Amino acid sequence: MVRLKNRYLLINILYPTSAPATSVSGTVPDALKFYQPTSDKLTPQLLLRLIRDGVAELFGDYGAGMIGGSLQVKYLSPPTSTAIIRVTRSHYRLVWAALSFVTKLPKPLDTPCVIHVMRVSGTIRKAEEEAIRRARESVLRARLIIGGGAQGLLKEVITADDGDDEDASMDGIEDDEDDEMDEDGTDD
Amino acid sequence: MFYDLNVPWAPNDPELQRTLAFLDELGYNVVALTHTISGKLPSDIKCPIPSPLPFPTPGKLRLLRRCTLALSDSNQNYRLSALSAAYDILAIRPTDEKTLQQACQTLDCDIISLDLTVRLGYHFKFKTLSQAIERGVRFEICYAPGVLASDNMARRNLISNATQLIRATRGRGLIISSEARRAVGCRGPWDVVNLAAVWGLGQERGKEAISKAARFVTVSAQLKRSSYRGVVDVIYGGEKPEVPKEEDKGKNYGSKKRKAGVGDGKEAPLSKRELKRREKKARMEASAPSCCNDSASTPGQATSTAP
Repeated sequence: MVRLKNRYLLINILYPTSAPATSVSGTVPDALKFYQPTSDKLTPQLLLRLIRDGVAELFGDYGAGMIGGSLQVKYLSPPTSTAIIRVTRSHYRLVWAALSFVTKLPKPLDTPCVIHVMRVSGTIRKAEEEAIRRARESVLRARLIIGGGAQGLLKEVITADDGDDEDASMDGIEDDEDDEMDEDGTDD
Repeated sequence: MFYDLNVPWAPNDPELQRTLAFLDELGYNVVALTHTISGKLPSDIKCPIPSPLPFPTPGKLRLLRRCTLALSDSNQNYRLSALSAAYDILAIRPTDEKTLQQACQTLDCDIISLDLTVRLGYHFKFKTLSQAIERGVRFEICYAPGVLASDNMARRNLISNATQLIRATRGRGLIISSEARRAVGCRGPWDVVNLAAVWGLGQERGKEAISKAARFVTVSAQLKRSSYRGVVDVIYGGEKPEVPKEEDKGKNYGSKKRKAGVGDGKEAPLSKRELKRREKKARMEASAPSCCNDSASTPGQATSTAP
């Protein structure tokens, strides 16, 4: 029996043009602004349709057919704007390219966004571990910012409600080291 | 280290602060702000980009100033040396085949940046492009116009031209940058590498295009401007330590010994051995002044202490 080989893409949805955070006050650090919670209207089906349409637009029927059987949203968490997508190993680059070409979420939401692939891994366990690691790291970073500088505003952003808390917890995720790991993951 | 060597700059652009913060968040370390000049050059050339920008920028992000000169007429004299002195990086945007050839062969610039979103009426030739790459000039692919394009044609042209460029240069001497007017156009470094991989540039070469090759451009551009004939550059001259600092040093450690030495006399401080010797001699002279055998056995000592 031959095993089906897959790739799991850990993605994060960023909002570079975040309107709500800017209205709170002008002094919220930019790093926190980009990590907004996604609306609950984003369902796995909607994300799947977004990817399918993107691949079909970029690669036509050939691309859509190649990824059609294996594409699946394994995990989607709107509060942290994180998702794990499964796709066959031979064509994961098509999906990744389609994700890079996304500039806004589909119709009912219609907000401009950037989808950032944080990790490509061969097993879902490693993708999960990476997501947890990054979340933990970013909580630490948020705490550090609170301890340091603009305290009141950040507390307001982070502890006001749970959604915002999750949002703030996703902000520590930029490391060269991780990207190198990312590269290891992508080597076939 | 990841480089994005093309972020358009315009006076009083409200988007720029957000774009820079977003690029920093995505993991870029060096960003070049681009001022585009087309048409006639002004009489006195100086860089309009303020050196510390009027708004706070992320601390880790290094900013460079770059000029992109649109080249439309090959006969006109563009004062490239004056331009390159005013900016950190000089890029040239040829508009047709003739100016591209001129840029590849003779013009003294750092980057050749073609507008890939329009249909070019000619093919790239390895011969001309390799001349430029041998001189140390790099070719640039800007991905954001394709990402943000509302119509399919711009994206199609970008992909077609980028693959042509990759084919003609054989994957060498390319850099990839964003040219994003809005923060939405920026992508993470590894997303860019993947895009390039889909377009036919290998993953290793793609990574080089946003890290190593881009670094080569910045370093060689800096070397051209600051060094002696592009060969020798003084980074640290090794300044002499200042005199008052030495005094501080003396005070700080070994103060006991120095104090004893200084307090002993105005001349050079005596060593311990010399002190012991003198002590011994004085003792011997006091106890047995008539003993001449001993003093004869140590003539060096005797002569040294006599005066």
